[in-house]
Amino acid sequence: MSAESMLRIEGLRKNYGAVAALQGVDIEVRRGEVMGLIGPNGSGKSTLFDCCTGLQRSDAGRVLLKGVDITGWPMNRIAREGRFLRSFQKTVVFPTLDSEENLVLAGQMSRFPNVLSTFWVGPSARKRIQALRERAKELIEVTGLARVAHLPAGHMSGGQQKLLQFASMLMPEPELILLDEPLAGINPVLIEKVIQCIEHANKELGVTFVVIEHNTDVLMNLSHRVVVLHQGAKLADATPEEVVRNPEVIEAYLGG
Amino acid sequence: MKQAILSTTTLDTPRMPATRVAAVNWSACAAGVAALLCAPLFLGDYYLHAMVLAMIFLLPALGLNLILGYTGMLSLAQGVFFGLGAYASALMSIHFGTPFLVNFIVAGLVAGLVALPLGIPALRLRDTSFVMCTLGMVVIAQMVSKNWIDLTRGDMGLSGVARPRLGFGDWVYTVIKAPEYFYLVLALAALAVAAFVALIRSPAGRCMVAIRDNETLAESLGVPTWTYKLLVFMLSAVFAGLGGSLYAHFSTVVSPLVFQAYYSNTILIIVLGGGVGKVPGAIIGSFVFVAVSEALRITPELRMVIYGFVLLGLVFLFPQGLAPLFQRAAERIAGIGKGPRDVR
Repeated sequence: MSAESMLRIEGLRKNYGAVAALQGVDIEVRRGEVMGLIGPNGSGKSTLFDCCTGLQRSDAGRVLLKGVDITGWPMNRIAREGRFLRSFQKTVVFPTLDSEENLVLAGQMSRFPNVLSTFWVGPSARKRIQALRERAKELIEVTGLARVAHLPAGHMSGGQQKLLQFASMLMPEPELILLDEPLAGINPVLIEKVIQCIEHANKELGVTFVVIEHNTDVLMNLSHRVVVLHQGAKLADATPEEVVRNPEVIEAYLGG
Repeated sequence: MKQAILSTTTLDTPRMPATRVAAVNWSACAAGVAALLCAPLFLGDYYLHAMVLAMIFLLPALGLNLILGYTGMLSLAQGVFFGLGAYASALMSIHFGTPFLVNFIVAGLVAGLVALPLGIPALRLRDTSFVMCTLGMVVIAQMVSKNWIDLTRGDMGLSGVARPRLGFGDWVYTVIKAPEYFYLVLALAALAVAAFVALIRSPAGRCMVAIRDNETLAESLGVPTWTYKLLVFMLSAVFAGLGGSLYAHFSTVVSPLVFQAYYSNTILIIVLGGGVGKVPGAIIGSFVFVAVSEALRITPELRMVIYGFVLLGLVFLFPQGLAPLFQRAAERIAGIGKGPRDVR
């Protein structure tokens, strides 16, 4: 095991009935990098995210986070103890809460020692929540959501919700984030904003990223390394420059 | 139903001219408390009796508001825990002669502890399957209370539950008269409301709303959703059990009738009609719906028919319950009503 390994996926398999979504995938993500994950629709990218983060159980294989086997851990434990978070393809926020409440909630479980302590409303709990509010306000400024911060998140635009979702994942001081199509369905100005946020979190906060994205131009600029999945198997694992010249990748995904 | 819940619930931290809204809310609250404190000076025993019933039903309604309004799970088992609390209190009082406050606390604990083994399998289910499971609990509770004759005396029920006795040392006071009951139940109901507000304003309350809004997202951010749902199920049972204890010591008789659908329905109507996911919802609901039910006793034959039509009318006229209506009235009185409304 490399000392730099953040996430190691070994022989991951997942079947949906007769369909093999993942056919024994091996991937290693190194600490501090931004790794792109591309492939045609149905190639198993989102399933890979689901199996790594505990949303779905894999049929075979192991997932190691910083050398610890997290296979079979529930999703909440992976997020809380592993500081390993993910976004979803369809943007999701807590619609009845405003931005600040969304962000406080996102950071809450990392600030309280256990579930029972969250039922306490004494001064220590208030102090913890106040610290989270300060951090939430900073992130609202950084993501440019101040103008709509008072709105319930369900009333915000799709792009604004995407930024809020991204900010939520930064609240628990994560070490690894998996982003599932962070740029889908948002306008060019907001695309620039999301990219800035990812680069800021990667360089300033040291967060490692794995990014699924069909906007290959942006992804190739953003990523240090790119893995290509095709029909549930790894087709390529190389630098962006090498991947765009790979004939198999061009045939299966990028096109001529 | 889920969509209706999402669009109407609140974390009770209003944003709009915050100080004025807070002033209005606190004034309305103070006026309500003052009116309740003065009620025995103006109302006869019959009306006080109805108000005591309303406050007793407020407790299981608070529990249902917690699990349905704040956590997004419809549980029909509140009637079960209400009945369990009533039986626990009655058995303690009859067999051991324990004081009221001990029975009251034990009833809450028994209901909460019984909810643990019931909740563990039930909370593996979601949506309508969970609702059906809680409905099954009601049927089982009815059967057990009718057939475990050695303990419950079956359909004959348990009679002779002691009137609440309060005391310190040699000084003991037995609560017998209607105004005395009224103040005792008012004090305990006020404590229950305070506990409810503390719960939903705690960090755990935020987790409950997160589970209601999007359980998978909450889980992905580290919230152990299943544990929270189990704890909320148990807490809602504690509220119901405490209500059941008050009922047992108020009526002095407990029979399998406490498990009948009427009680579960009343609790559900109080919460949905009052305003689900809102602090004042269950409070307003308990007084309005128990009052309507009692007022209709003047026409016994048509009572339930008219009650049904009243409910239908309310659903069509105020689909979000009565609480927003009261809130708007209070804001209008304070001259706030015109600005953009905040859904929280």
